[in-house]
Amino acid sequence: MSQFFATYGDLFVSMTLMAVLALSLYLPLMAGQLSLASPGFYALGGYVAAILSTNPGSPLLQMFPYRGLFPLPLLLLEMAIAAAASALLAILVGVPALRLRGIYLALATIAFVEVLRILSLNFDITGTAVGIFNIPQPFGTHIEYLWITGPLLLASMLFVYRLERGRVGRALIALREDELAADAMGVDPTLYKVLAFTLGAILAGMAGTVTAHLLNTWNARQGTFDFSITILAFVLIGGSRTFLGPVLGALVLTALPEVLRFLADARLVVFGGLIVLGSIFLPQGVVTPALFERRQNRAPRPGAPPPEAGLGP
Amino acid sequence: MSLSLLFQAVLNGLSIGGVYAIFALGYTLVFSILGIINFAHAAVFTLGAYFTFTLMGSQPFTSGLLKNDVLPVPLPFPLALLLGSAFAGLVAVGVERVAFRPLRRRGADPLLTLVSSLGVAIVLTNAIQLLVGAEIYSFPDDTYGTLPRAVNFGTATAPIPVRSVQIVIFAVCVAILIGLTVLINRTRFGKALRAVAEDATTASLLGINTDRFILLTFFLSGFLGGLAGTLVGSSVSIAGPYFGINFGLKGLAVIVLGGLGDIPGAVVGGLVIGIAEALVPGDQSGYKDAVAFAVLFLVLLVRPRGLLGRALVQKV
Repeated sequence: MSQFFATYGDLFVSMTLMAVLALSLYLPLMAGQLSLASPGFYALGGYVAAILSTNPGSPLLQMFPYRGLFPLPLLLLEMAIAAAASALLAILVGVPALRLRGIYLALATIAFVEVLRILSLNFDITGTAVGIFNIPQPFGTHIEYLWITGPLLLASMLFVYRLERGRVGRALIALREDELAADAMGVDPTLYKVLAFTLGAILAGMAGTVTAHLLNTWNARQGTFDFSITILAFVLIGGSRTFLGPVLGALVLTALPEVLRFLADARLVVFGGLIVLGSIFLPQGVVTPALFERRQNRAPRPGAPPPEAGLGP
Repeated sequence: MSLSLLFQAVLNGLSIGGVYAIFALGYTLVFSILGIINFAHAAVFTLGAYFTFTLMGSQPFTSGLLKNDVLPVPLPFPLALLLGSAFAGLVAVGVERVAFRPLRRRGADPLLTLVSSLGVAIVLTNAIQLLVGAEIYSFPDDTYGTLPRAVNFGTATAPIPVRSVQIVIFAVCVAILIGLTVLINRTRFGKALRAVAEDATTASLLGINTDRFILLTFFLSGFLGGLAGTLVGSSVSIAGPYFGINFGLKGLAVIVLGGLGDIPGAVVGGLVIGIAEALVPGDQSGYKDAVAFAVLFLVLLVRPRGLLGRALVQKV
């Protein structure tokens, strides 16, 4: 068993981190905004961790010297700093960019990710093309990262679940269904879109912080365009109408290349093929709201009105 | 920057910009008809370069399943270029059948096509890797015949050298663009194509076989992509199965700059970005790749529908 965890520890941790990233893309999508910016904030979060924990001039290291393993409170502090930095950047980028609709917004966010990548290739502080090495480890083994990523995923899920049920969530869904009508009903489109975008950016930034420690190194190859679309595949194949879809999609699709490892060199060819098949045969994603409605219909509460047929988006 | 350096930069920019334009036209043709961006276009671009390289049969592959294999009948470059691009066109037709048509039939969310076309791109890219490995392949030195390495546009004392490959590429691009303009504006095929782009339902009511035109458009798009891939691969080298990705992204910048689905716009966008990149001074060349995306981001903020794009009035 311990051998199993030693071999697949990395996989379990990255499955949880990918699920957080999928939620970060799902949040703006709740408001109907296709933003592919998550990898940009993920990269930013990673650089925050990498710089704060390795740079000799880092205020974090000077204020809190430590011996042995990297202390957990410092990791949490880094995550908080990354969250703040991502939120700030998200507001700066989001306010002008979220005027764009549909594919134009997607393209603008791709451009944003690429500009960040090229800047990090050229700045000294981000280690230029070489990147940053020897990022300290807070744990002895990789599987122990689940102590951080597990609660992070659960907290994100709980947060998005609560958000979906509340006033903000209803406003976002109203924007997704009809922006003009929502606007007329008093939902401020810019405010809510930027809010969803910023919340997504915060999740992506925190995921990046943990990943930088996990990988021990961080460079400009983290957070690229491909990665944007991979996260989009998690969300769309998992199902984009409830928060469980992205989480499930990320968990399964991250594990899939490992499961396909017996195919050796052909596994990514098969993986691509499965993504095509998934989008053709599961256009609504695996998890759809109808799945839950049917369960409720089977056991109607006494006195509840009969369920309408064919409901659901 | 001296005047001669400026001249040199503009000429180089026109050459690379021409390739951007041809490549981006592949995106634009598909977008104008389906309103969808084909994310497998960059993979087709890469494949085109590999096809031409294989057809020239000048050197065996050094890795992958096809290791040490070489085409028994080597073709001259112009023929290999045309044939290789045509094969790329056929691959694009296959992409349409596999990743676009099934979703269109089911009336799926257009966003999903982004994912399915990316799935195909993953398949194609990794198939290349499986077959010929991640090695860098360079076209033979005599690909462009016995042309001198560079042409001097200046005087003997103040030379302005421009690589002759760049000039050939620019000439090919101009020829292709003229051909395409004639095809779209002057022929029955072009008329039907524009009709399908304007309104597919009405076009099909008027007796145009829209599915066939969509296939033809994909063929044309793949042909242009494969051609662009070969031109880039032959002027630098084929830098592995992923060498199309950067181009794929820049192509997006080009088409947005010109207005999505706008054919003259894609040409203007390609040339503007090519020249803008060439004007980045040598000591700042690390930022060269950021130019296209910075321009894209700024243009979108000022003109949300692209430089030449028309404003769309939202109807309720």
